[in-house]
Amino acid sequence: MKLRSQLLKGILEGCILSIISQQPTYGYELSVKLQGFGLDDVSEGSIYPILLRLQKEKLIKGEMKKSESGPKRKYYYLTDDGLESLRLFIHHWTTIKQPVDNIIEKGGHRL
Amino acid sequence: MNTKDLIQLNNEKREQLTKENKQYYGDMLVYIRTNFTKSERYIEEVLMELLDHLLQAQANGRTAKDVFGDDPKAYCNDIVGEIPSEKKANRLSFIFYLVMNLGGLVSLTAGTVGLVLFFIFGLGEGTIAFPLGSGILVILIDLILLLLFVMAILKWVKNSTFKEKQPRKWVEFLLLWASTALFIGLSLLVPRFMPDIGHVIQISFPVFILTGAVMYISSVVMNKKMQLVK
Repeated sequence: MKLRSQLLKGILEGCILSIISQQPTYGYELSVKLQGFGLDDVSEGSIYPILLRLQKEKLIKGEMKKSESGPKRKYYYLTDDGLESLRLFIHHWTTIKQPVDNIIEKGGHRL
Repeated sequence: MNTKDLIQLNNEKREQLTKENKQYYGDMLVYIRTNFTKSERYIEEVLMELLDHLLQAQANGRTAKDVFGDDPKAYCNDIVGEIPSEKKANRLSFIFYLVMNLGGLVSLTAGTVGLVLFFIFGLGEGTIAFPLGSGILVILIDLILLLLFVMAILKWVKNSTFKEKQPRKWVEFLLLWASTALFIGLSLLVPRFMPDIGHVIQISFPVFILTGAVMYISSVVMNKKMQLVK
């Protein structure tokens, strides 16, 4: 799946914010977690342009830190703005998720 | 950890890549680094992340193609598009450093050679005389030529990435030789065809040497303080 569409990009951004909010995370770990949640169609590399954009918008910030396995890694933390943005995403998502499910089910497409 | 350390570390870690991954990542590195208007800090940090990711994927038996897809150029454009521009202050201090460093070296060399020629071989009159306006114009035009030349080389290097077949070495050498000759030739033609503008001033060689030394030393100090280049 190439993340060309803005919709998918937005959703992936929300997922990344959510994962980082639970624990500071570095790139590889983040992609493993996304795949662990079942988003295994998302190509691994596609998280990096998103991480850069989230940094530019000051929703997350990166810090070089020693990892458990030894080498220094860039860990991402959520900023206050990031937390606010995550809340907004969750709000948008919950208001849109149910109606969309209903519409699809009404149309006869079983989920 | 500053950007120079990151570059150094990147060079060391890159050695652990397989031949295939090294080729793929190396092209990405060149393609992303040759964007000289973008923040160097961001560039080096993301390059290190991509390398770390690739190394871990490689340990799990995956290739660069699996990780970054089969259109590396489009992927790199995505990355570069999200990297913020270098801060104006950083860019200006880098240009200032280059001018001081280069100007200092040229002035030092010209002064020393002139002095040696005059005192040991009795050539010339011990000073350089030139119309002030013309002198400034020549320096400015030559600097712009240098900038264009560097930009052309960077563009060329960037275009050499992600090629299926490598161009022949001797063709590349000839092209580089010809464009360098053209650049040097043009820079030397500028003072030849510059009309006389402004008052003629005379500068003796020791003054050249002194000015050059001051410029060069301040560029070195500036680099030490701000770590502009290695």
